Amino acid sequence: MKDQIERLIQEKLAREVQAKTRRHFIKSCAQGMGGLALSSIFMACDPLSKPAKKMQMAFSERDLNPLATLPPPFAPKVKSVIYLHMAGAPSQLEMFDYKPELHKYDGQDCPQSLLEGKKFAFIKGTPKLMGPQAEFKQEGESGNWVSNFLPHFKKVIDEVAFLKAVHTDQFNHGPAQLFMHTGSARLGRPSIGAWATYGLGSENQNLPGFVVLTSGGNTPDAGKSVWGSGFLPSVYQGVQCRSKGDPVLYIEDPKGVSRNLKKNTIDAINKINKEEYAKYADPEILARINQYEMAYRMQIAVPEVMNINNEPEHIKQMYGVEPGKESFANNCLLARKLVEDGVRFVQLFDWGWDTHGNIREGSIDMGLRNKCREIDRPITALILDLKQRGLLDETLIVWGGEFGRTPMQENRGNKEMAYKGRDHHGDAFTMWMAGGGIKKGASHGKTDDIGFSGIEGRVSVHDVHATILQLLGFDHERFTYEFQGRRFRLTDVEGEVIKEILA
Amino acid sequence: MDVLKQLLGRLHPIIVHLPIGFIVFGLLLQWYDRKRQTYGELIPIAYLWGGIAAVVACLTGYLQYTGEGYAFDTVKWHLWSGVATALFSFLMYAKSEGTKAFSFLERTPTITLSIVFFILISFTGHKGGNITHGEDYLVEPLPNNIKSALGYETFEEKQIKLNEDNWEEALLYEDVVKPILNNNCVSCHNPKKTKGELLLHSKEGILNGGENGEVVVANDASQSEVFTRMKLPNDDDNHMPPEGKRQPTKEEIILLGAWIDAGHPFEGTIKENGLAKELFTSFFPQNLDNDYPDIEITAASQDSIKIIEETGVHVDPISESSNFLSVSCINKPAFSDADFENLLSIAPQIAQLDLGGTQVTDAIFEKLTQLPNLTILKLDNTSITGQNIKQLSSLEHIKSINLTASKFEETHLPDFSGFKKLKKIYLYKTKSESQGIKTLNDGQITVDYGNYELPPIPSDSIIY
Repeated sequence: MKDQIERLIQEKLAREVQAKTRRHFIKSCAQGMGGLALSSIFMACDPLSKPAKKMQMAFSERDLNPLATLPPPFAPKVKSVIYLHMAGAPSQLEMFDYKPELHKYDGQDCPQSLLEGKKFAFIKGTPKLMGPQAEFKQEGESGNWVSNFLPHFKKVIDEVAFLKAVHTDQFNHGPAQLFMHTGSARLGRPSIGAWATYGLGSENQNLPGFVVLTSGGNTPDAGKSVWGSGFLPSVYQGVQCRSKGDPVLYIEDPKGVSRNLKKNTIDAINKINKEEYAKYADPEILARINQYEMAYRMQIAVPEVMNINNEPEHIKQMYGVEPGKESFANNCLLARKLVEDGVRFVQLFDWGWDTHGNIREGSIDMGLRNKCREIDRPITALILDLKQRGLLDETLIVWGGEFGRTPMQENRGNKEMAYKGRDHHGDAFTMWMAGGGIKKGASHGKTDDIGFSGIEGRVSVHDVHATILQLLGFDHERFTYEFQGRRFRLTDVEGEVIKEILA
Repeated sequence: MDVLKQLLGRLHPIIVHLPIGFIVFGLLLQWYDRKRQTYGELIPIAYLWGGIAAVVACLTGYLQYTGEGYAFDTVKWHLWSGVATALFSFLMYAKSEGTKAFSFLERTPTITLSIVFFILISFTGHKGGNITHGEDYLVEPLPNNIKSALGYETFEEKQIKLNEDNWEEALLYEDVVKPILNNNCVSCHNPKKTKGELLLHSKEGILNGGENGEVVVANDASQSEVFTRMKLPNDDDNHMPPEGKRQPTKEEIILLGAWIDAGHPFEGTIKENGLAKELFTSFFPQNLDNDYPDIEITAASQDSIKIIEETGVHVDPISESSNFLSVSCINKPAFSDADFENLLSIAPQIAQLDLGGTQVTDAIFEKLTQLPNLTILKLDNTSITGQNIKQLSSLEHIKSINLTASKFEETHLPDFSGFKKLKKIYLYKTKSESQGIKTLNDGQITVDYGNYELPPIPSDSIIY
């Protein structure tokens, strides 16, 4: 027994030592040296320099209820976000970025000047350019372009603001998805949804603040980290729900366990956990207590909100849902229901957009068309449905992939491929946003004649993040979390709000 | 020989620290020893070496002055006080040796001499520092208000004041370009600092250019360094303003470019120079389309908020900087007309009220008139029929009413004609069979009936 206690103490000390980083060391050095502190004393004299306002709730209170709602620094334009991520990277050249010039160069060798110093995932040697495989038309009053791969989408095109020249510095799915959702291509950072729920909490006490829905038969290549909480308390991570089977795994009570017994069990566990907290003051224990309680409430609330069978027939038809299956359409309808019930951040991942041309499903002229059909009706329906319920004004919809695709046809292994395909391309791709605070019908950014690079209005992934945070009421430069002795931001040290698409 | 002269001269900034060290050491020792009297012999040695080192410093300093082409005016205070420091050090040596050669030394108390000496050496050092680092080196990091209190010139941020009505009449250079340069560039490119030998605070300065020649090329921003350096990526070594300094906004840079493209005129209004309006719109006061009234209001008491929250109703400030509140019954579907009384303690602050999915009835309208600043009202999924909804017209800020899935009856639609600021009504899933959008009050109010449809099209079922 004594041995064990000693080992525990040893472990605790070791952990403490590990938790001390170089930054803590430098910080305590600086505090010891009065001279260095002088600058902050001067700053304190300056009535103009306002220290960043502390969150209004005392820290311990937030610890007790980590999802309690908090006001953002300035009036938000939206309450909720629905982020539609097409995992695998959709081809902007067959959907939104119309490049008639590329037709003329179809089948010609790609100029060397474009290839020099560039790295592609699979393209080798000199690939051939490939013209758009879709037909384009200008639609709506905005006259924005959309292809015939998305025949329904034209109905809502005037609700949407396009970003035509987004760029990323990653060209492999995993890192690019991490970058797109956490602001860093390396593991360890919190995802946008985690930041949003950390900063704003969540209104509905019976549902998680951040819900993740996946479709397309696979989860994103980067794994669950794309909806992880990183260094934020784990209560802010996304909760993955399923549109097929139990909405959350193991949400049903086991056979023979009554709701009462369950309640008593949770109460007993939480009592012990509270004693633990009194001893060690680890906020993760509080998070755990809260999660037990939320899970208990969720057992009733989640099956209800995740049940699409009770929706009227015409709504089901509008979305094109297939109850009982796992589909993007089901997830879109669920996203609306969740937002309607006050969920802060709904993240949809649809897998299967990686159109290299190596297989039929991954071809630009066939596989991509199928994928487009699978999202076209649901997305259009989602926008219309939110609109008719008065929810589009207070919801932000973001659509995009982790990067775009090359204007060149892929030539994996320097050979002709079985199907038409395009390689990964981070230099220029299209994303769009719609909803509260967005300038309807806007189109920002332009790519060159063949859609290789942005020539006007280039925006980075950080810029997209800054814009999302802005709409939620945050200044992305001030919204920070202290970890390992330094303050972290979603946008790291970059990012500029894309004012051009804001109303 | 010249090489040696210059080299020795350049050693001056290093050598000066030697006498400073000796002298300060001597002064400290003297203070430390004032009662103990155990190091008495050391003190004169410190001053003697201090004096000798000060002489060497003076000599190298003189070499630097002549070798580096400083104007006498720049160095004169430092030069003479340096010489005085050297002499004074020997005086202190004499005093601490207890010499009887100078009678005034005997009469002056050691403490007086020490203080004078300390001031003298600090002054000398400071003047020397000013020569190498610039006059405002120490003051620069201070906040503007302290700087001006100390009598230093500050480059106060000048606001660009333009609006929808006056923008054409504003002077292009004086009212727009100059403030941009002033706020972003002049803290370094001013007559005192003249970084890169460039001045950007005046017409003459801009036209004269800097050490690399011209910075503005008439009608060609892409050749004008003042513009191109700002356009470089922030991490480029040549980017201006340098890292850590305030950066101009995208709009400011674009405007500077447009000004240069227009031949960088220093005279005339915006209109006379014929620049397009969209260059300036970002400087107009932002018409903040807030979802709550544009008036100041006192904060609700935290106690009242707490009491209401304990009943299960959410009460949240709209933002940290606003006293307006958003109230939501999302967690309290049992909320009924009677519960409304609880909200009255925060009545003036309520700007958004979400009663969606609650038990409220048409009797709520009369009560709602007690919320003078109500802007957004949600009554979706309730049994509201719209009877008495007319009473809400006394709410002068109300902008949006959501009646989705309520029992609203179309006969009450004309009641909205008296609503001054109402913009949106949502009537989806009410008894009405209408579809899409209708407008009321000559387009002031948009009524959204919803019932949008996406009819099937052939391509829905084509699988490739």
